[in-house]
Amino acid sequence: MRTIFRALGPLAACLALAACATVTSAPAGAMKVGDAYEVALGREWSDISNIMNGRTKKVRLLSIDGPLLNRLYLSDGLEPGEYLIKPAAKETPTPVIRKDMSASERLEFVADSVVALEYQRVQLVRPRPAKLGQGNGVRFDLTAQTKSGLDVKGTGVISEQGGKTYVLLYLAPAEHYFDANLAEVEAILGSARLG
Amino acid sequence: MRTSALALAAVLAAMPAAAQERAAGLRPNATSAEAGFWAVMDKAEAEAKTRADLNTDPALNAYVRGVMCKAAAAHCPDLRVYVMDRPFMNASMAPNGYSEVWSGLLLRANDEAELAYVLGHEVSHFTESHTIEAHRAQKTRANVVLAATVVVAVAGAASAASAGTASEAQSIMDATGNTIDLIYYAQMASFFRFSREQEGEADLLGQRKLAEAGYDPAAAAESWRGLTAETKGSDFKRVRESETRISVFSSHPLGAQRIAALETQAGTLTAGGDRGRDRHRAAIRPHLGAWLRDDLRKRDFGQTLVVIDRLAADGEDLGVLNYYRGEAYRMRRGDGDLAKARDAYLAAAAQPDAPVAVWRELGDIRRRDGDLAGARTAYDNYLAKAPQAEDAWLVQDSLSSLDQGK
Repeated sequence: MRTIFRALGPLAACLALAACATVTSAPAGAMKVGDAYEVALGREWSDISNIMNGRTKKVRLLSIDGPLLNRLYLSDGLEPGEYLIKPAAKETPTPVIRKDMSASERLEFVADSVVALEYQRVQLVRPRPAKLGQGNGVRFDLTAQTKSGLDVKGTGVISEQGGKTYVLLYLAPAEHYFDANLAEVEAILGSARLG
Repeated sequence: MRTSALALAAVLAAMPAAAQERAAGLRPNATSAEAGFWAVMDKAEAEAKTRADLNTDPALNAYVRGVMCKAAAAHCPDLRVYVMDRPFMNASMAPNGYSEVWSGLLLRANDEAELAYVLGHEVSHFTESHTIEAHRAQKTRANVVLAATVVVAVAGAASAASAGTASEAQSIMDATGNTIDLIYYAQMASFFRFSREQEGEADLLGQRKLAEAGYDPAAAAESWRGLTAETKGSDFKRVRESETRISVFSSHPLGAQRIAALETQAGTLTAGGDRGRDRHRAAIRPHLGAWLRDDLRKRDFGQTLVVIDRLAADGEDLGVLNYYRGEAYRMRRGDGDLAKARDAYLAAAAQPDAPVAVWRELGDIRRRDGDLAGARTAYDNYLAKAPQAEDAWLVQDSLSSLDQGK
């Protein structure tokens, strides 16, 4: 009986997901992210925050073709103790923001959060100075693979302003999908307005 | 000793009557149930070859295959070994001879003898056809899992059909697709779950294979003791209080009785023998840094520190090991951890094999301590040693802010 419950547990979770999860439109134009800032979308995206793994209240997840083909994480200001990816259990923690993070620790936070999404061989590359709104931040690119070996590319920005950390992160398969929407993503990153 | 003898007797008594060891080179009849199991595992093996975490270092793969062949003896030609970069203590052997050896095992084995013992344990599951036996017993479970997979797929398709947009439908299918993958993975794991009796039998047979291959049979119990020590070192109370299991697929605890049985049997086998410590360390040395980083990303830093302590016990690779010890303390940030991190980085910096990142981390930690002169020296060292580093500008930025008194 225990075996049957164990086997059917994911099924029950999935049925609950199918019944309750909603995917909504994120139309072109200004989109507010939490209380702190907004970005400008150049086209319609789908807001798939409700079906993301490790969902947190402060992170919005957008996609165009589905989460395996492109995903854009937009975090509201994360405070110390908060995370980009919520842990599934206490014994499997995910990276958290700390109040005294160094610049390299903030990049480590991004890379290890992507690992927590079960991507493999995650490498954060080309860190470079950037602006997020009026504040300073670090732009970065990223390479990874899915578990089944598909090459994935990413790009994003992380910025600490007023004691809060903002992360914008785009992930997509290296073949076709990353480049297909890169210009749109670059425009979104450049459009962020805080405060 | 009396307790150990009783433990061995108990394990032997619990073992099923000695089954005929499968003949080397044996393939199942195409119409048999076993042929069906082989077909499933052939598919899993084909997928393993494209997995992102497949380790393709030819030298490492040759080393692991060599150790497997010593343990497997005549069965060596039946086996195919894949090294996977996964930070968990695990090895598995499918009924078709497809075997995975995970980097977490290679990192935790103190020497070649400990690795050979674990592989001998897995070879014993193969030679005794334990998977076939276990899977027949689990047939009901497999049917339930298969049914669940089908229902989930139908639920996903139904939701997708009623979705408002193409991308919404795709998202729902993707979400349920992940769930199906989880169920499939659980079913695969069931291939590697054995009964308590089968585990005890594989322990003792694996130790005999170890001794027959010329290794020290004492390595068997030492291997399992290292694993229990790691469980006790966890940062998490629930893990510390749980019973150790020998692999991520294992459903039975590694009790003191099993270790005692190995110690007793060791007394009946030729003592001493090869440990192959230097060969093992030479094989894993190029991967130490990457595997320790993978281990840290599990974020049970107490367990990683136990692993590092074992690796450092003989005084080798101290630049790399102290750097990752410092990383474990820095990332954990418990009471007193930053001071321990600083001390570990300093110990690493004194070694010729220290990664250059040691100086960047030392700079950051001294800056937090308010030791601005020390931070400046460390950052200068980093920039001198790695002027072309991609993050050199970040370190230069930190230096500049020190100069500006920020």
